[in-house]
Amino acid sequence: MRMRQWILAALLAGACAGSRAQDVPYQRIVRADREPQSWLTYGGNYQSQRFSRLAQVNRGNVAQLRVAWIYQPVRPVANLESVPIVADGVMYITEPPSTVTALDVRTGLRLWSWSPVLPKHIVSIGLYATSRGVAILGHTVYIGTADAHLVALDAKTGAVRWNVPVADNKMGYAITGPPLAINGKILIGTGGSEAAVRGLLDAYDAKTGRRLWRLWTVPRVGESGADTWGPGAAQSAGGTTWNNGSYDPELNLVYWGTGNPAPDFNDDDRPGDNLYTCSLLAIDPDTGKMKWYFQFSPHENHDWDSAEPPVLLDAVIAGKPRKLVVLANRNAFYYVLDRLTGKFITGVPFARETWAKGLDANGRPILEPNQQPTLGAGTLVYPSITGAVDWSSPSYSPITGLFYVSTHETGAYYIKGTGKIEQGGQGPRGIVGGGGIRALAGEQSYGAIRALEATTGKRKWQFRLLSPAWVGTLATAGGLVFSGSDEGNFFALDAETGKPLWNFYMGHEIRSNPITYELDGKQYVFETAGNAYVAFTLP
Amino acid sequence: MAFLASVFAFAAGHKGAAAAQQSAPAASAPSKSAGAASGDPARGKSLFEQNCSSCHGVDATGGEGPDLHGVPASLGDEAVVNIIKHGIRGTAMPMFFDLSDKEAADIIAFLRSFDASATAGTVKGDPKAGKALYESSGCSACHMIEGQGGSVGPELTRIGAMRGPTSLEDRLIDPGANLPQNGTGFYSSKWTEYLMFRAVEKNGHVIEGMRVGEDSFVIVLKDGSGKFHALWRPDLRSLAQEPGKSLMPSFKSALSPAQMDDLVAYLMTLKGAQ
Repeated sequence: MRMRQWILAALLAGACAGSRAQDVPYQRIVRADREPQSWLTYGGNYQSQRFSRLAQVNRGNVAQLRVAWIYQPVRPVANLESVPIVADGVMYITEPPSTVTALDVRTGLRLWSWSPVLPKHIVSIGLYATSRGVAILGHTVYIGTADAHLVALDAKTGAVRWNVPVADNKMGYAITGPPLAINGKILIGTGGSEAAVRGLLDAYDAKTGRRLWRLWTVPRVGESGADTWGPGAAQSAGGTTWNNGSYDPELNLVYWGTGNPAPDFNDDDRPGDNLYTCSLLAIDPDTGKMKWYFQFSPHENHDWDSAEPPVLLDAVIAGKPRKLVVLANRNAFYYVLDRLTGKFITGVPFARETWAKGLDANGRPILEPNQQPTLGAGTLVYPSITGAVDWSSPSYSPITGLFYVSTHETGAYYIKGTGKIEQGGQGPRGIVGGGGIRALAGEQSYGAIRALEATTGKRKWQFRLLSPAWVGTLATAGGLVFSGSDEGNFFALDAETGKPLWNFYMGHEIRSNPITYELDGKQYVFETAGNAYVAFTLP
Repeated sequence: MAFLASVFAFAAGHKGAAAAQQSAPAASAPSKSAGAASGDPARGKSLFEQNCSSCHGVDATGGEGPDLHGVPASLGDEAVVNIIKHGIRGTAMPMFFDLSDKEAADIIAFLRSFDASATAGTVKGDPKAGKALYESSGCSACHMIEGQGGSVGPELTRIGAMRGPTSLEDRLIDPGANLPQNGTGFYSSKWTEYLMFRAVEKNGHVIEGMRVGEDSFVIVLKDGSGKFHALWRPDLRSLAQEPGKSLMPSFKSALSPAQMDDLVAYLMTLKGAQ
């Protein structure tokens, strides 16, 4: 024990002195919580908790936060949704659509930048050609590109170590989500459900780029689960894996959410539950085999993907210590599952919903009648097409035991159309939505940062936002929750009460999850907006 | 799979101004309306539902993608055809390369059909008498025309190109009803312009005015004297919308129906340069 502490102290001292040189081995990521000066994965740690032990910026002084530096790409960008990795004095950001740039974390100056040669026409159906971030492992950073390649770059120079096609962009596959780097493997998913591609999750050898396995998320005729598609099993589509997954190193299980079945609104050709769409998959990363699945929205037809980042946490429920995976779903329910077995523990709505009476003992929704898309004027259903939450990440504080989620409160009229999947085409003609929506006006919608008891989903507080936001939350040991608004406010709330403590107007909608790190003994928080990547610290 | 991003710049233009170019025959460049005449809005509606409504909503008021009302009038049909067929790089707007020019024109005709209600009606009165009424009724205390007048209410230099007689008469009778919506600001849905708010500060001080800016922490109101008030929302005792209210008085009883026609006729002559 004493020896372990000594080793830990030595490791921390080394990291603080900046003596490492872009080397982030697997074991370092496993222990990400012990080096809060870095930000080593998209979700802050393998559990995707987005919680930092840094407490220098706290309730008492957060109002004094000031801009330290601003970085802007050479050319203006659109759809900036980048979440950086910070390690050993370097910040790795992405610039839309698929550029990776390394910045000196002390000054914001560019160290190197790499851009792929993209085809003249990138097919980006139902998504924006952007990148939410890279993964780091060893001396290498990894990015999934808009044309559905996975690329490994030298962390010091940006030189390409390898570049492999994951799937065919012409069919509608595109990558926006960050890869997940675990022990010797890089896992990557894709988007494209609106182009009616077949969902997949891949693992590649981190050193060579060789594909180790592929998991198709929707079965075809003869495969397990095909009976949940009726005649649609011949061309089952959707269930894409377009966000980031989480990982439990002890159980050696990867948790990854899947998107909607295709077409979104016209479900005539796909009777049944449509496995494994709108599900959470627990996968053995050594084999690529599913250990269990939990389907949140069987036979989904409102475009409520279940690609939200799953958060892993340990807590005591009914006197027993449990290993949990929790998820605030786009369908407006908050779920608590046993992450060993996938067994449903509890689930409650965390936003207004009109489509289900509740969940049964197994977590399956009990449907309300007349809440399906209809022909003509459509049906008003809550939540809206963008769900009670979209891809932005929640956070979990082990100090407060609360789960913080940026919530959308809005509905939409859902209209069923005639769109069908076309056979034998040369790629997608356009959106295979099979219908559409009519959104409610701005004044009929709002957003909120909500704090839920992580083990029950019971709401502790909320901070209301003018409009629904696409910004994740960050919880810190300083008793703070950081998040942003769609109007451009970057702000800090009291993690216990939701009271606003600081607000900085960024001048443009915010679409990235905030992060925090430490440098030279000072804590920084970081957010993007418009073209700007902005680091904040105390005076 | 909904990835959200920016409201496209072109859709964020003032909707009234966008509609103007369609209804001002002299000012509108022929190329901007070419194609719309040949498009079939009914067929366009069906094509729009199949191809566009997943993101833009079935009524084109926006969903995950932006509000498209007024966009063909604002950008011109040629530019919209180009966007439909080639997409917009770096955004979620895909290319619909196998839609024919005719099909694109049908979609544009469908989009243009939404502009019609704002510009409906016929001019009945005498614009000269209307001009005199405008001057004697105090309108210019709040509104500006070609650089002359007040700045509490919206500028009217081009109002005759932006609105039709029916819409103008409705606003003179009940200025707070059916306030215009636009797609600027937040997310892609429509927000009400000129909406009145009543704010009560902690000390009981009341500020009433129309919203000119708002975010999750601040609201900026413009009061009846034209003064801006930037208010820190967490510090307010209360903040409430006042739907139906307006800083502008109703002219329903102040003007006879004939005078109303005259005033509308004058306003319809205001088609000044942008």
